[in-house]
Amino acid sequence: MFDNFLIRPDSLRNEQRDGQTTGFTLAVRHANYRGCYLSLHNGYYLEVDGTEYPTSVQTFEINGKAPRTFDEIRTAVHEHWDYDDEGILHIAAPGGLAPGRHTIRLQQSVLAAYGYLPTDEEWVKNPPKPGSGAGSDKTPEIVTYTLDLTEAEAAR
Amino acid sequence: MTTTIRRGVSLYSYQQSQFFKELMLEDQIREVGQNLGGADGIELIDEMSLRYPEPGDDFRRQWFTWMDTYGTRPVAMDVGMDVLQFRDHVMTYEECADRLRHDIRLAKSLGFSNVRVLSVVPVEILVSALPLAESLDIRLGKEIHQPMNLEGREVGDILDVVERTGTKHLGIVPDLGIFQFRPSEVLLAWLERRGAQPTASTASVDLALLIRRGEAPFDLSPLARHTAGNLRSDFNRFLNTGQCEPDFASVFTAVKKYADDRVQDARDIDYRTVAEALMLSRTSADTLREIAPHVIHVHGKFNNMSPVPDAPGQYQEISIDYDAAIGALKAGGFNGYINSEYEGQRYFQDRGREDLMSEVDQVRRHQEMLRRLIAS
Repeated sequence: MFDNFLIRPDSLRNEQRDGQTTGFTLAVRHANYRGCYLSLHNGYYLEVDGTEYPTSVQTFEINGKAPRTFDEIRTAVHEHWDYDDEGILHIAAPGGLAPGRHTIRLQQSVLAAYGYLPTDEEWVKNPPKPGSGAGSDKTPEIVTYTLDLTEAEAAR
Repeated sequence: MTTTIRRGVSLYSYQQSQFFKELMLEDQIREVGQNLGGADGIELIDEMSLRYPEPGDDFRRQWFTWMDTYGTRPVAMDVGMDVLQFRDHVMTYEECADRLRHDIRLAKSLGFSNVRVLSVVPVEILVSALPLAESLDIRLGKEIHQPMNLEGREVGDILDVVERTGTKHLGIVPDLGIFQFRPSEVLLAWLERRGAQPTASTASVDLALLIRRGEAPFDLSPLARHTAGNLRSDFNRFLNTGQCEPDFASVFTAVKKYADDRVQDARDIDYRTVAEALMLSRTSADTLREIAPHVIHVHGKFNNMSPVPDAPGQYQEISIDYDAAIGALKAGGFNGYINSEYEGQRYFQDRGREDLMSEVDQVRRHQEMLRRLIAS
């Protein structure tokens, strides 16, 4: 669902800290028709120009709080990510991205479901790796986006 | 017999307009109250339409003002159950019942009279929450959604509890997608844009019509207790790994062979297209007529409303047998709400903003059909 619209097209930015470009950010939405408890959010398959950025370099900013790792997100068991709200995905990538056009492949993994599933116990022990299609039943294929990073945004 | 079936809309229908912030909640309620020729029922999904789990008292005041302003009524709140919420264990039935009790109180605070639970919620959870529902005069309705049917254990379990306890606060919410008899034309077009061959679409429709005539080339009964979403994801797992739920293995193997016989050099997307024929319910209108007294409200599911040829201003759903479904509800004396539930918008979201479907237009067309079939 919402395949072509999960990333806001003008949202690609480099991110700087203490004068250094530390990575980049994207604005994302729910790949579903509803929100869910934030703890269910299991990270992203993300590839930019052929380079994969695993969940270990991803943090997620939502509900007015500082970016959190997905290990922290999974403990947010009473906090809800509402349907209307955009989240910011932060990627630690020293030097950031070069200005210009980028090909981004993305899949969101959210362990939301209709009731009990055969995979439940396994996913408590070993959550699926984003990109396998697990936890993405309404957008089962990785979606490709072409996004521009302007000189001004690259220099941030 | 005079019929008193009433019309409403599940705001699920406007999920895409809300995603793009074209129609927010008030706009959706206004559309229902002012532009649908007498429809007044509002159904919504708590996790789509509300700040969840607690929308706040300011919102509640606003909500009731909207109901007054637009002449609408809160009919049903649809609630979910994500059993991995705590991540360190799978939720127990009692934890699920606690969530349901929360949602029942939330629904009551917004004036809803019905709470719809998902088709896969175990009946024990409903029984656990039933005393609260009764004390708050909220009716719990278990949705029956394709590929389930009205003849299976899901309905039987509910009717058993009703018979045993005499409760008036538990029943069924049929989703009229259970009267779908072929894959929707918009679903097939979407699959073809993803690479499915036209022969796979044809094979899918042919297989669906064979199944409808009772001539299915294999036994489909193992599928009836599962949601379409879960079936699809398990079929994908089967295609990727050869593994699936043991129940499904014989059906999945047979449907793959059916596709191989009809589609040249079939790929995964072709198999998935043919397998859409398995997602249909094969339910009986007679059963709907018989259980009509236990129907809480109805989801008027549709994927595409197209013009009726040579009948300007009239619209039809070519893949769902609405004549049979509404006929059965009328014959059974049903006098509650049928709420439009548009789901076809997702089959256009692989393209640009300019190619998206108008949910407002589709719901208006569906309401035209409902009005006509209810009156006929």
